[in-house]
Amino acid sequence: MTFLDIFLMIMIVGGAFLILYRTLWKKKGCCGDTGCGGCSSKKQI
Amino acid sequence: MNNRKQIVVAVAGNPNAGKSTLINAIAGSRLHVGNWPGVTVEKKEAGFEFEGHYIRLVDLPGCYSLSPYTQEEIITRDYLVQEPPDLIVNVVDATNLERNLYLTVQLMELGIPLVMALNIYDEAESKGLRINASQMAETLGIAVIPTSAVKKSGLDDLLRTVVQVADSPEAHRPKRLNYGEDVENALEGILDHILHSHASLLDRYPVRWLLLKILEEDASVLKAANITSGSLPQQPFDHLRRAHGDDIEGLMADARYAMVAGLCREVLSRPEKRNPELTERIDRIVLNRFLGIPIFMAAMWLLFKLTFDLSAPFGEWIKDMTGGPFKRWTEVVMGTIGAPDWTVSLVNDGVIAGVGSVLVFVPVIFAMMFFITFLEGSGYMARAAFVMDRAMHAIGLHGKSFIPMLLGFGCNVAGIYATRTLENPKDKVLTALLIPLMSCGARLPVYVLFVGIFFPDNSGTVIWVLYILGMALAVLMGFLFKKTLFRGEVPMFIMELPPYRMPSFVSLCLHTWEKGKHFLIKAGTYIFAVSVLVWFLLNLPWGVENKHESYLGRAGSVIAPVFKPLGFGTWEAASSLITGVIAKEIVVGTMGEIYAPKKDDEGEKEQPTLGEDVKEIMVSFSGAGIKAVSSLFYLPIEAEKEEDTTALNEAVKGHFTPLSAFAFMAFVLLYMPCMVVVAAMRQEFGTWRWAGMAALYSTLLAWVVAFLVYQGGMLLGLGG
Repeated sequence: MTFLDIFLMIMIVGGAFLILYRTLWKKKGCCGDTGCGGCSSKKQI
Repeated sequence: MNNRKQIVVAVAGNPNAGKSTLINAIAGSRLHVGNWPGVTVEKKEAGFEFEGHYIRLVDLPGCYSLSPYTQEEIITRDYLVQEPPDLIVNVVDATNLERNLYLTVQLMELGIPLVMALNIYDEAESKGLRINASQMAETLGIAVIPTSAVKKSGLDDLLRTVVQVADSPEAHRPKRLNYGEDVENALEGILDHILHSHASLLDRYPVRWLLLKILEEDASVLKAANITSGSLPQQPFDHLRRAHGDDIEGLMADARYAMVAGLCREVLSRPEKRNPELTERIDRIVLNRFLGIPIFMAAMWLLFKLTFDLSAPFGEWIKDMTGGPFKRWTEVVMGTIGAPDWTVSLVNDGVIAGVGSVLVFVPVIFAMMFFITFLEGSGYMARAAFVMDRAMHAIGLHGKSFIPMLLGFGCNVAGIYATRTLENPKDKVLTALLIPLMSCGARLPVYVLFVGIFFPDNSGTVIWVLYILGMALAVLMGFLFKKTLFRGEVPMFIMELPPYRMPSFVSLCLHTWEKGKHFLIKAGTYIFAVSVLVWFLLNLPWGVENKHESYLGRAGSVIAPVFKPLGFGTWEAASSLITGVIAKEIVVGTMGEIYAPKKDDEGEKEQPTLGEDVKEIMVSFSGAGIKAVSSLFYLPIEAEKEEDTTALNEAVKGHFTPLSAFAFMAFVLLYMPCMVVVAAMRQEFGTWRWAGMAALYSTLLAWVVAFLVYQGGMLLGLGG
């Protein structure tokens, strides 16, 4: 396994975690992309 | 420089008044969907130009009044008071004029220029109702425009009126409704006090509305205005109480209803003799005490049957495409650019096997969403909730709780947020705890995979049984929770039963897309990401020969014994269940990766050319269409039933029996809700307590049910 392989793997795994973070966690753990809404909540009325 | 005048138009109306259809008819694809701050009721906005003006439509949640009890009412009212639009378009259902006008009267109290869209006017006329729109306009002091959103009639008139009213708002303020001498005197008494003690409030709120709310002792307004009941002069209240009784809020509601009833007597004439309408005739059967629930069950069965018959051939087509041409093209492209071997495996055995396994079920999901949307749009779903009211009472809830549960069939998260429409906090929590037992669309891929292999001739029926199992367990758990954690009275409620309507095809497609697109987005985001991570977990430590010895294999092996009594104690099943916690479709995605064939398993085959591949794609797609149509009409298909021999199907067949497959499906139906549902419950109730409880009890329940299914089946000799 070369340095390039290792670098690529780190980038890919990092990218996958970034996608998970952005879709599942960043939006307050809510379903920003599952259509339930409510994910951009900033304040309660 | 852009001189267009912007007009902000709030669109308000009762649920089922045709508000969304009207906005869709006006704005169409220009509709932008967002969320109201802090809540999940969708906020839809659309901006467009009309006769030199820029009109921004704000779609407010459907509500029956502006009282501060439900989330929809609070949102609507807060928006109108805190961010007053240039004018309000009040969408009124002409076939239910009396009920709809109650909100109109409350909107008039705000003093904001108002235009009434007298919608569903064509249907009202065909029922023999005669509404004198011009007399109503004169009486109320607002423009009244007959419209039919479905037929797109009256919409230009409506927009023209909107522009006229916005150009001269002062000339179009609604008339002040007089609630009688006693009320008016009381309002004046309060106004005197406000002028002396809280004059700044008059700049913040519409004056008459503020006075009415103070008179009604509306807690949220008093709190926002920093007024205590004790600081108010008691004379106006005492006088009213002496004359009309203690309940001033009730008195005001009566006054508004009286006004509405009087108005209807003036402007509405009904046919003297009428036959029972179609809706009534259908309801006599559908809402029948004995037939109601069997009809609902039959409707659900038909829904699944149609869903699978129509979508299965397209699912097969996607499976063939992702496993065939698409995989080959990826290999060729990656080979051409000199990508390392492991990246080719990552793409083929990770991404394509994982995401592809889930994509296969997109047609099923879209077909199911289409039929659910049809049932909702036709008015039947409201009847289903009504029919279930009695059953729901048995578990200490009422039919209104069944609506979030029905929404849970699409996506549990949507169901969790829909609990906001329930007024009683205990009901909200109890309903939310039961929603994960409703089988959402994400579980479908798992069912479809297993029934396709083990129950190909009864696929619709088996899946229907699973849905019914979820509902039956929801009833059981609801009963247990109500007897233990949520003791209390079941509140009464009035359920809206909209008339039956044939939803338009365009509207059906739009709503189906709205509901179904999220599965595509999921496939492109976290199912994709998890597929990549699962591939690494299956290939680490680097160079591992046997997937069983990989990190995922080892983790699966650790918990596999827990599933042994359930009939699926393999590391493959256990690993899939672990990753399925993120989203249930991932169970199938992970299985697709675990059972992906090794390169040398496939053998050397002659590779088709690109042209042959494209031709095959088109031919097989047409074939799928013909199969779907044939199955709809029960036409025999000429071609022999092909044996499905993909690696995933073969492997599943080798590791499960029909009995253990059913136990596995029951487990997937019931075990821990996906991460997004858990997060939604946490957000909704502000504590991990209920989210944690839902995760815990559902997993225990899943184990017990799968155990009973498997061990019971073995005892009955069904294990073979």
